[in-house]
Amino acid sequence: MPLRAFEETVLPHLDAVFNYARWLTKNTADAEDLVQEACVRAMRFLSSLRDDDARAWLFAIVRNTWYSRVSRRANMAEAIPLDGARDVRPDVALDPEERLLQQHTVALVRAALEQLPVDFREVIVLREFEGLSYKEIAAVVRVPIGTVMSRLARGRERLMAVLKLTAPMETLR
Amino acid sequence: MSCEHAERDLDTYLDNELDAATAMDIHGHLNECAACRRRVAEREALGRLVRAAPYYSAPDRLRARVLAQTTRARSVRRLLTWAAAAVLVVSVGGGGLSLWRSAVTLGDAMADDVVDSHVRSLMASHLFDVESTDQHTVKPWFLGKLDFSPPVADLASIGFPLVGGRLDYVGGRPVAALVYQRQRHTINVFVSPALNDVFTQANVQSLRGFHIHHWVHDRMSFWAVSDLNEAELTQFCEALEAS
Repeated sequence: MPLRAFEETVLPHLDAVFNYARWLTKNTADAEDLVQEACVRAMRFLSSLRDDDARAWLFAIVRNTWYSRVSRRANMAEAIPLDGARDVRPDVALDPEERLLQQHTVALVRAALEQLPVDFREVIVLREFEGLSYKEIAAVVRVPIGTVMSRLARGRERLMAVLKLTAPMETLR
Repeated sequence: MSCEHAERDLDTYLDNELDAATAMDIHGHLNECAACRRRVAEREALGRLVRAAPYYSAPDRLRARVLAQTTRARSVRRLLTWAAAAVLVVSVGGGGLSLWRSAVTLGDAMADDVVDSHVRSLMASHLFDVESTDQHTVKPWFLGKLDFSPPVADLASIGFPLVGGRLDYVGGRPVAALVYQRQRHTINVFVSPALNDVFTQANVQSLRGFHIHHWVHDRMSFWAVSDLNEAELTQFCEALEAS
């Protein structure tokens, strides 16, 4: 198997893959381990990647690896403390008051998204951050397109309900 | 168009996933309906908010670890090539070593993935996409979902009833998973086109308490996995291969 091809296939998508893994695991260290294990699998199975989209293929491998790890631990509980406040970079161009408001809002959105059940969370992450089409999401998550649609809609409804209660109202207008 | 219809398709509309005709209808409705326009504005604001949540870029140390992995794999491969060459010098015909070696590692990786998928199917209570004991229901179900048609046999007559099928993902590819039952044991059979000759070696192995049988028939690759005892699984696989 050509290793250069592996580097060319995987490395360009490492940020996207890590972001997805981070939202799945909700924890930086776990996300790093997950991505590394997924890369080992991707390397082994590179010959099975045909003309498909390498990025969606990698998401699917990350997702399968994660579910295997979770089932191996026999622990579906997602009780992992918030640890990543340092990952949030404030916009320095804003004045202190606006910056505070922005940090506050980002923290609220982040918490709301992390509290969503993973079935809803992952389709929202793949759609909003990675811009995957419904068809691509369906391939990664292995559900029909109709299910992708309803999960997106229900996930957004839930987010909206949570944020309406917590976020500053003007941010929702 | 009614508000109810518009609301139902609003997400799809905003995601640009709606067909042109329906999108035009929604567009027309929005021109007339302030309530739905407000819903659109809310959804758009929500989208902006969500995208303001942190995007986690891969840390440099992860990038380095992944790179180190491929470098290590490369040097192992180089070593193997040398070993193969050395064997070739000692005995002509030993050149198959590197091929044999890669078949073994790929087979191991596949077996590992097969067991993972089996366990996942049992734990996630996602054993079936199509639940049926009728092979004429299960086989057509895969049509249009895969670029191949898996052979589906019912072995109820010898005590291995077919109970359903689903799409799964093994070895980095979509595969057909056929589910059979033997008393309280579940047998998953993963079927996909045989890709190349590394997959053609039939083998039997055990991994993490599961038995795995692999064979190739008619250019299709089969992986059967179960916690069923070895003898009965062998009987099952032989019957399936002969069907």
